[in-house]
Amino acid sequence: MDALISYLVNVISLGGTYALLALGLAVVFSVLGLINFAHGELMTLTGYVLLAGILTGQPFWLAVLVAVIAGGISAALMEFAAFRPVRNASGATLLMTSFAVSMLLQVLFQNGISPRGQAVPVPTWLTTSLSIGNSQISKVQIMSITVGVLSLLALKFFFDRSYWGWAIRAAADDFEIVGLMGVKASRLIMFAFLLSGLLAGVAGVLWVIQRGSVDPLMGFKPVLAAFIVAVIGGLGSLTGAVAGGFILSAIEIALQTWLPPNVMPYRDAVTYTLVVIILSIFPNGIFGKKSQEKV
Amino acid sequence: MSNSLLTTTDLSISYGAVKAVRGSNLEVKEGEVVALLGPNGAGKSSTLRAIVGLIKSQGSVNFAGHDITGLPTERIVSLGLSLVPEGRRLFPNLTVSENLMLGAPRKAKSDDLFDDLLDRLPILRERLQQVSGTLSGGEQQQVAIARALMSQPKLLLIDEPSLGLAPTIVDAVYQLLSDLRKTGLAMIIVEQEVMRVLKFADRAYAMSTGEIALEGSAADLRTSDEVKRVYLGGAD
Repeated sequence: MDALISYLVNVISLGGTYALLALGLAVVFSVLGLINFAHGELMTLTGYVLLAGILTGQPFWLAVLVAVIAGGISAALMEFAAFRPVRNASGATLLMTSFAVSMLLQVLFQNGISPRGQAVPVPTWLTTSLSIGNSQISKVQIMSITVGVLSLLALKFFFDRSYWGWAIRAAADDFEIVGLMGVKASRLIMFAFLLSGLLAGVAGVLWVIQRGSVDPLMGFKPVLAAFIVAVIGGLGSLTGAVAGGFILSAIEIALQTWLPPNVMPYRDAVTYTLVVIILSIFPNGIFGKKSQEKV
Repeated sequence: MSNSLLTTTDLSISYGAVKAVRGSNLEVKEGEVVALLGPNGAGKSSTLRAIVGLIKSQGSVNFAGHDITGLPTERIVSLGLSLVPEGRRLFPNLTVSENLMLGAPRKAKSDDLFDDLLDRLPILRERLQQVSGTLSGGEQQQVAIARALMSQPKLLLIDEPSLGLAPTIVDAVYQLLSDLRKTGLAMIIVEQEVMRVLKFADRAYAMSTGEIALEGSAADLRTSDEVKRVYLGGAD
């Protein structure tokens, strides 16, 4: 029972972060058909802004808020400076651009700040644990679950109720026709990047607080996981991104908890074998569109 | 009635080395219904897509006194042109209501318009909260037309309204178009069912391999031997 509770807590807290990251990728994919591999660097950037806020003695909540907003603004700037000039180019060009932006930012972090990781001093009230039954749950995890779930609920509300939410969902279905609805394409793309940056910001803050440190290459692993999450869910599907996040998290945490120690080094191999099995059952992802459905 | 609403001058469209449309000159007058005929690949859909700015073209397009050549689609739509695309292209994961509301950029007026459209299409009222991908083909076509009307166009471009629909459903779609025509809405209809659209339209253009081969009043084209030969295999 206690093992189950702690398993669920871990799955929800990691899954929520994956879901936020994968949603960020999916939102940009909806409007540009691009997997933005520089998404991870937005997380890293958020981490450094958070660190700067804490080191300069700002209240924790303010440092978090500024960090998340910095993620959103940086994403919008990234769109304007890097992706807008090549918007009508081929998918390969866009993908190369995203790798270039990613590496550029990594080098800037390495040379401008430090190649080594920096400890992020989290407020002491976050470092304690609560007991539920016989299991100990850290406050960081409680915060990460709360923030993850609330963000997902807020997004659901936004996607279901607002004009721009409909426009993003419509873009995921059929981007060309969104222009026919009178929605300005360049504004929608800028907005999608802003939203994806805010999501990377929230995920970045959660990630940094759980690890307690930030380093220049920090964003690579989570964005790779988020890419896999988006593929499991069905590229471009927003529902799929959330579902995929919790599925990958459930697999990873289960293996980490119950895999025998001598097999543990093969954990990632086992994880991705399961992913391949899922994809062989659902070749377009679980919520993916079938590719040939035109009448 | 006689004012020109849309004119294309020397409109040409290329896909790489292939010229899909060569120097076409079309005109639609206010309140007029114009049919655009032609076999597959004649350039009909390309013409409609070029008019609303979804694809690049050479030549010029003039609409309601504005030169709309090369303008972005959203500007063209805001000037009063709307397209019902081939295959309907609803947003399948959005509800009927969301599809319609997304079609209305000017929010203030849209509530009245919304009610007015639903009075015209009572079937849709029951389906508002249904995800549009689950509707039947006929219902989807009605939603597609209604969605295009949400931007309050002066000219509606309709690409293959009867494609893939049962004859009785096609009757219902044309009944809707006939009601809309009474409100003074001008239309260009691309249609494979030549005789049906020639009975409905005021005038028609017939395209063949990217050029306008014939034009005239719909009544004249209906009895033209050329149209019978090319589109109906010699039989009526």
